[in-house]
Amino acid sequence: MELYNLGKVPWEESQLMYHALAKLGRESLCLLSPATPYVCIGFHQDVEQEVDLEFCRNNDIPVFRREVGGGAVFLDGNQLFFQLIIRRDNPIASKRIDSFYRKFLQPVIEVHYRIGIAAEYKPINDLIVGTRKISGSGAAEIGECIVFVGNLILDFDYDTMSKVLKIPDEKFRNKVKKTIEENLSTIRRELGVSEYEKWDAKTLNKILAEEFEKLLGPLTPADKNDELIAKMKELQVSMINDAWLYQKGKRVEGRVVKVRSGLKVVQRMHKATGGLIRADFSVEDGQIKNVFISGDYFCFPRDLVDRLAANLEGCSIDNVSKVVSAFYQKEDFSIPGVIADDWKQVFMI
Amino acid sequence: MEIRGYNMPNGLYYEAHHYWVKVEGDILVMGMDDFAQQMAGKIVYVQLPFEGKKLSFGNKFAKVESGKWVGKVFAPVSGELLESNQELEMDPTIINQDCYGSGWMYKIKPNDVGDVENLIHGAEAVEKWLLADIERYQQG
Repeated sequence: MELYNLGKVPWEESQLMYHALAKLGRESLCLLSPATPYVCIGFHQDVEQEVDLEFCRNNDIPVFRREVGGGAVFLDGNQLFFQLIIRRDNPIASKRIDSFYRKFLQPVIEVHYRIGIAAEYKPINDLIVGTRKISGSGAAEIGECIVFVGNLILDFDYDTMSKVLKIPDEKFRNKVKKTIEENLSTIRRELGVSEYEKWDAKTLNKILAEEFEKLLGPLTPADKNDELIAKMKELQVSMINDAWLYQKGKRVEGRVVKVRSGLKVVQRMHKATGGLIRADFSVEDGQIKNVFISGDYFCFPRDLVDRLAANLEGCSIDNVSKVVSAFYQKEDFSIPGVIADDWKQVFMI
Repeated sequence: MEIRGYNMPNGLYYEAHHYWVKVEGDILVMGMDDFAQQMAGKIVYVQLPFEGKKLSFGNKFAKVESGKWVGKVFAPVSGELLESNQELEMDPTIINQDCYGSGWMYKIKPNDVGDVENLIHGAEAVEKWLLADIERYQQG
């Protein structure tokens, strides 16, 4: 199998490489990093709904739609990408999605161990330290191949990440940023500055190659040849243009930011007959948390929605309907034009 | 017919990547089979190409995304796409809830409806094929 250990490359190349290799059916492992930052959205996402395009334009941050799923991410040179391209009929490619990730994340776990970080696999495709995610990954069928991509996160720009996402207001943006800070770690954070500075990108990529080699067999260092360069040029035309970027994606009710597996931060607006309801909350492993409700409806007593929020705190998303119905049956209150079904719609995920 | 916990209704034709095909007069209805939807987990997005798209047997014509994977949908026969299930745009998990009913995905006008005979069909053939795939998937 070919090994492309390329170091820093132009941002476009950090995406076009694996798309091109997969479409050419060339099994390989690429280790690279973008020379400049960009935003990368998932295959099915709607860019106008997910990304603050004005912020990106004003800050010269390009946006790219990949053929791999998942959410919008901010990528920069402090992340070392690994991109594995294997043919679908290669027996090493596990058929089950969970087995696939477990197998191919193992080398990444080993790299973390070798530098002193006890990373663990968390199904289906997370790598965590304690409760915090420390590496992202995704997979897709492209051409005749399966592509598995992910990163070693040396350091992370939480502030810019929270700014590139399209978020309706600053309060919710702060909540998103805080949640990401609390739930996404980095190699720098785990090791501390002095220990972190002992590791450079070149060494870490060498360790990555060694660990993947244990799984894949010998890797042969390769350079981009004419065929690969030509394919990337072809894809540059088809994938770096407005038609590809702005294609219709999945519409999402309200704003939902996935921070890691099992953790989403949500903002919902809902127009009830009696007024607008706004709710900010998190969904953590199926439970509703950090509920804050506001809006322009009339209600009595004044603390009514705070009591409803307290009832919903910690409630399983499957039980929202029951909790809201029970609240409406038991409590004595007045909230004209806002019925139980309005709340159910707000909190349904 | 239930095979090791997977519902594989009789009377359907099956494409090797685990999509079912039903003949309704001179058109075909297609969807994901129970084995595939269980393996995929929660479906988060289904590409719904426009009607009129030309389909060529064995070639990719759409993509499906579960939370952790973007997979391909291959044409079970050559023909033309008549309709995509627009309900899946708002709620693709209908496939997880009812993959043989309201979770249907595409309607196809085949060039030759007889082409379905090349797909896997008949209780014995379906069982043999599914058991072999269960075995392959268990090997991880």
